[in-house]
Amino acid sequence: MKIQRLLAACALFTLTLVPVTASAESIITRAISTAPAVSIDTSLYLPSKTPAPAIMIAHGFGGSKDSVATDAKFFASKGYVVLTWTARGFGKSTGQIAMNSIDAEVKDSQALITYLSKSKYVTQDKTGDPRVGIMGSSYGGANALMSASQDARIDAVIADITWSDLQNDLFPQSITDSKESGPFKKVWAGTFFSAVSLQSAYLGECGSFTQAWCDAYRNAAINGQPSTQERALLASVSPRNFASLITAPTLLSQGQADSLFPLTESYKTAEIIKKSHPNTPLAMIWHAGGHDGGFDQSPYLRAQYLSWFKKHLSLEKIVFPTFQFTKTNGSISLQDSTVIPKVFASKQLPITADVQQLQLATPTVAAAYPIGGIPSAISALPGIGSAGALASRVVSTISGFSPALLPGQSGLLESAPLTTPISIVGPSSIKVRITSTTGDATLFFSLVTKSPSGAINQPNGVVAPIRLTNIPATGSDVTVELPSTIIDASVGDVIAVGISSTDQGYELPKLSRFYSITALSPLTYRNVIASASTSKSANFVWPIAALLTLILAAIYIRLRKPKIAPSHEESTALVEVENLGKVYKDGYRAVTDLSFTVERGQVVGLLGPNGAGKTTTLRMVMGLIFPTEGSIFMDGKPVYPGSPALSNLGSFVEGPGFLPHLSGRENLSLYWRAIGRDGEQYLDEVVAITKLGTALDKKVRSYSQGMRQRLAIAQAMLGMPDLLVLDEPTNGLDPQQIAEMRQVLKDYAATGRTVIISSHLLAEVEQTCSHVVLMHRGQLIAFGPMKKILTRNRKSRTLEEIFLELIGDDLVIGKEKK
Amino acid sequence: MSYTASKTLPYSVELYRQLKRKRTAFAYAFVLSLPILVAIAVKFGPSGNSGGPTRLGSGTTDLIGLATIGAANFTTTMLYFATPFLLVTVIALFNGDTVASEASWSTLRYLLASPVPRTRLLIQKIKVSLTLSAIAVLLMPISAWIVGTIAFGTKPLQTPLGATFNNSVALSRIAIMTAYLAISLLFVAGLAFYLSVRTDAPLGAVGVAVGISILLNILDAITALGKIREWLPVHYAFSWFDALATTIDWSIMIRGASYCTMSGVILYALAINRFAHKDITS
Repeated sequence: MKIQRLLAACALFTLTLVPVTASAESIITRAISTAPAVSIDTSLYLPSKTPAPAIMIAHGFGGSKDSVATDAKFFASKGYVVLTWTARGFGKSTGQIAMNSIDAEVKDSQALITYLSKSKYVTQDKTGDPRVGIMGSSYGGANALMSASQDARIDAVIADITWSDLQNDLFPQSITDSKESGPFKKVWAGTFFSAVSLQSAYLGECGSFTQAWCDAYRNAAINGQPSTQERALLASVSPRNFASLITAPTLLSQGQADSLFPLTESYKTAEIIKKSHPNTPLAMIWHAGGHDGGFDQSPYLRAQYLSWFKKHLSLEKIVFPTFQFTKTNGSISLQDSTVIPKVFASKQLPITADVQQLQLATPTVAAAYPIGGIPSAISALPGIGSAGALASRVVSTISGFSPALLPGQSGLLESAPLTTPISIVGPSSIKVRITSTTGDATLFFSLVTKSPSGAINQPNGVVAPIRLTNIPATGSDVTVELPSTIIDASVGDVIAVGISSTDQGYELPKLSRFYSITALSPLTYRNVIASASTSKSANFVWPIAALLTLILAAIYIRLRKPKIAPSHEESTALVEVENLGKVYKDGYRAVTDLSFTVERGQVVGLLGPNGAGKTTTLRMVMGLIFPTEGSIFMDGKPVYPGSPALSNLGSFVEGPGFLPHLSGRENLSLYWRAIGRDGEQYLDEVVAITKLGTALDKKVRSYSQGMRQRLAIAQAMLGMPDLLVLDEPTNGLDPQQIAEMRQVLKDYAATGRTVIISSHLLAEVEQTCSHVVLMHRGQLIAFGPMKKILTRNRKSRTLEEIFLELIGDDLVIGKEKK
Repeated sequence: MSYTASKTLPYSVELYRQLKRKRTAFAYAFVLSLPILVAIAVKFGPSGNSGGPTRLGSGTTDLIGLATIGAANFTTTMLYFATPFLLVTVIALFNGDTVASEASWSTLRYLLASPVPRTRLLIQKIKVSLTLSAIAVLLMPISAWIVGTIAFGTKPLQTPLGATFNNSVALSRIAIMTAYLAISLLFVAGLAFYLSVRTDAPLGAVGVAVGISILLNILDAITALGKIREWLPVHYAFSWFDALATTIDWSIMIRGASYCTMSGVILYALAINRFAHKDITS
């Protein structure tokens, strides 16, 4: 049996392995020449079933086709042909980096689409037009957007954490409609550039960049400003300027922990696509990751990407939320104090969300700028920016100090403490008047929340820099676009526009100056109506399941009925025991084929040595133990646990049972109330029997064995039941008490009631009982009136002698019990 | 002398029988003393006078670090302290000891032979144990709030996520957390009760229930188990933390509450089923 199971398990295991190995083996690696002196290193991953729609996965900056191998294997395992390639200038691909120019990298992508159009593995829409989707993150995401704008053969696009306007990412200017470029994002630009130039240092300072790009970076690093020529270069690779050509369904994904390509980038691209082609399926995801790190949500994102391709490449009917965003302030893990991201879904994009306004209570703030910009505020650090953001949260909770907003160098344009909670999702803006003692200004705006304790929270350390020149003495009035954020502010919190004169990540002015910033308008913000998207249906399924369990359990308990033997209507006997037998679960046979009847008014002795089955029999009579054979009737009615027939029975078996922390009187009264019947309890009579006197009001814990025993017999007599069952009632009593007990039992029987006494003391029973049931080894050996038993054999005089005679030599010590 | 099964072991009688026990008083004293002990430790602790209140633990943004801000924070922290062990133990005590102790006093057989129908006996026991358990869960935040008010005053609730709630909002959040906590303890209650029916040793039932709860907590801490952990009822013990968010996401609390209710109900039903077929030999 076991071997068979093992083999089955092995077979099952091998079966599950087969598709994996198959997909791992079917990778076609090929170098494809896309342009003179450009050879692109590609890998084609084949699914188990072809032809299938294809997915092109472009890699990030500084990577190669191997960086997206995990994704490629994932989509191949889901039934897609996947093409990965190393972009020109990276890895084994030759050529120079042109930052996704439509004349360079985009041409490569188009050549690769043509390659797919000739592949027998790929589903073809028509000749030369394969069913193909393109996706990528960061650098690869820009390639996806740019390629989609140039090649109508692309059927679905996913672009993650990528740029919309590269100039605005490297020289961010957050003043609406400003012609000037913003301050140079020097730390990020340097990180980006050196990712290539340091990797291939033998190629010189430019690495594999084209000369134009290398020159542009050098100039920017020196001047801090882009020239007209550089602006044109940046514009030529910015999807913002090409997105109007995109007609394929597009999913824009952006990370909140991203100070390089902030959320606003996807917002801008989305705006253009929506405006140019309102009917193009467009969806957006704002996840918790990004270039600064944040929270890894790759399993969730991968699932969403797969749905997008399933919907638009495999044309499956899938409802895909228009906008999904992750809140990181919802829930916190107590195991490692990390925040658990929670995904919300909405039917509207933030670009179509309602615009709302919030009045600011602080009209003006002043900020100083130190010479050379040192010390500088730290809003985010490239790559490890989320750590900086976390640090700011930690530090600010203690003292209201945030490293992103240094004292003296910054100010907050604050709202009044909120009276209703506010959620902000998307960009916000404010009109301000800025004055500067030097006539120019470089400032860093952000949207922050301040709790009543003074803790400042700047979401993800993303700032909106502005650069202004030629400011008149009266100041310049400008509208500042604040960073896109996801903020939940509660009652009592303050929402504020944080303004800092320094930020370590940017090129800063040399000279010191003073700024004043005055709010001229309320804060304009957006909010989308969203609900937690995670298993919304589960919110109903689980409670319904719980309710069903409750109902089923209740029905089961109600319907469950014990097996009851039919009543003996014609019977006149009080107790009838019929062919009773009991075998315990461990196999021990305690009672065998026991039959006797007890009539009213009898005092019946159940006799036998220890282990004869007396107590088991009595417990069966009381409905405590289930007989394995035969049945018991009381007043003609069958006995089973909870049988109403038992209400006529008072019992004392195997010692007393009381609540030790209560007095004897309380025990009796509680017992009477617990057994739930109307009628007189005869408390005085039974208490008289106990002869406990004042001890009745002491706690049972303090009673002697004899006192407990008498109390227990009193309890059995409560309500004067028709049948009294007493198991070894005289154990622990002194001779005088035994004599009294005998009288009590005789008196009790004299009222027409019935008593069954079990005992192993034959002489004791002989004096009390009118009838005898003699048991040995679970079997009946004699049953009848005492006189008849005693006179049954003239030689014997006592019950003991008769008993010994009846069982013969079976009662030898050591043989008595098995 | 008429007998009516539905009149046996009335709720009030069973409640009285349990309330009179020292065990009950000790358990409640135990629950009440935790906030007092923690408050005293913080107020008169060794580092209490170095400007500002002593912080519990090293964290500054976690719940423990914020405990001394005011009554609301103190109460939330006490719920956090009480969730994994104290309340589990107390609930296991109330539910695990109730039938087994009757067996150990030998009172069970007299009640059953009287006769209190077996299912009726268990249902009355369940009602009373759950009442006592609910009182224990309620006592914890009430006592913590009073102690917190005396020791630290009533200041707004600050959450580890940076949000702040005024006292009326904080009270409603604490009510939600307490209600969730009470429901999530149904699993332990059901488990202890089931064990109580299976054994005649009261402390055995309580101990095994607490032991299983600890074991499941250990399993839940092993992140490598992944999705399997979502099927451990103790996985949801701390889901009341979601009520600390500005906008409450109910999904996990709903799942946790439903799952714990389900597992509790199943265990109670198993206990009743088991008891109905059991030979009472105690």
